[in-house]
Amino acid sequence: MIAAKDNEIMLVEDDPNDAELIMRAFRKGKLATKVVHLRDGVEAMDYMTNARGGLGMARLPKVIVLDLKLPRLNGLEVLQRLKSDALTKDVPVVMLTSSQEESDIAKAYALGANSYITKPIEFDAFSKTVMDMGAYWLRLNRTKRRYEGDM
Amino acid sequence: MKVNSPHSPADHEMTLLQERLDLLSREHRGTLRALDSIILESGELRRVNVAVMNILEDLEEEKRRSLDAQSALLNMLEDIEEERSKVERTRAVLEAVNRELEAFSYTVSHDLRAPLRAISGFSRAIVEDCSEALDEEGRRYLELIQDNVHRMGVLIDGLLAFSRIGRQGMNTSDIDMDAMVDEVFHEIMAQEPGRDVQFVHAPMPPLNGDALMFRQVLVNLLSNAVKFTRGCERAVIEVGYAADVEGGAYYVRDNGTGFDMQYADKLFGVFERLHLAEEFEGNGVGLALVERIIARHGGRVWATSVLGEGSTFFFTTSGVKMA
Repeated sequence: MIAAKDNEIMLVEDDPNDAELIMRAFRKGKLATKVVHLRDGVEAMDYMTNARGGLGMARLPKVIVLDLKLPRLNGLEVLQRLKSDALTKDVPVVMLTSSQEESDIAKAYALGANSYITKPIEFDAFSKTVMDMGAYWLRLNRTKRRYEGDM
Repeated sequence: MKVNSPHSPADHEMTLLQERLDLLSREHRGTLRALDSIILESGELRRVNVAVMNILEDLEEEKRRSLDAQSALLNMLEDIEEERSKVERTRAVLEAVNRELEAFSYTVSHDLRAPLRAISGFSRAIVEDCSEALDEEGRRYLELIQDNVHRMGVLIDGLLAFSRIGRQGMNTSDIDMDAMVDEVFHEIMAQEPGRDVQFVHAPMPPLNGDALMFRQVLVNLLSNAVKFTRGCERAVIEVGYAADVEGGAYYVRDNGTGFDMQYADKLFGVFERLHLAEEFEGNGVGLALVERIIARHGGRVWATSVLGEGSTFFFTTSGVKMA
């Protein structure tokens, strides 16, 4: 059985306000035992490389919440790298964006994003949506893992 | 055409000349008609010579005129070319403006929304995490912050919708305005359960245009009419087509609060409001959107009103399809 302490969420978000508010929501919702916050795409990729290199698959985050617009390596580039790597492609990715550009949404799904959230102005609805998405993918992941364990 | 005196010395030449003149006159009908009669009356070769000189002069004149016409045509072509490059330059400017608008709407959606989200989020966090440290007044102020965040959010979304209309591609089709206006009116009324509005619908001609955009026009005009008749004892909203107004105009009329005609030019500006936000809610871009859409369809929108008696909004479009 997978213990609750394994619920690690990786948040890639460059806006410090959004990051703090999202982390607070995760904390309050007791959704994850650990939230790792990274501020851009390069940090995110470095973290993933270390996680898989050093300690193997067990240390990969269970859900990645990824902002679309990031400095250096942007969200879509990170998404593409994650989804084209056999080891990381199954980690659910929830994309976050502040724009409602349809082309961005289409691109994200084409690259294999699992969910897509547009950041609204009022934070209440937003943190609830992020929580729901996170919970959904964590749950799905755990069920899948348990099923594979039984096999 | 016959020569009068067959025995004159120049008889033979005259006949030959006559034939050539006949031929010429067929080719240059009109300019030679006067000449014919001169030859017939005098039969004198001298006069004919003068006449031939005249013909040559005429032909010269004709040639000069045709050269003039040719150079006029060349000038015209140059003008057209200049006009075309002017249009090309205008198009380039418009494209640049469009790109600017796109960048602008991205900035609005991204850069303005982010700090507002932070204000909303952190003021909510204060309410949730530090409520014991706050007195009644402190909590009320935080509620006011939330209300204002909401209001600013509505404004930003309105601005975005407005900038999107301008750069959106047009998808034209024939629109059954009668069906669309009924559908939109019933949709609006479904959200106003307590209201009783008399709806008078006179038939309208169909039009060719972007259906989503015209739907937006009707939604905005009709929801305004519903909104501004809120205080009426017997609210009446009329829609139809006035064939005698500016060559034909669709209209939406209500018997609501109306507006002072001296502010009529402000009606369609972005964020212009003629009523207090507390009295009549709205994001201030509804009519600006209507104007933008109608302008994109080659039409015009305007309104007439009597304060306290109601308003009528008219719009025209180049796409009206008369039976």
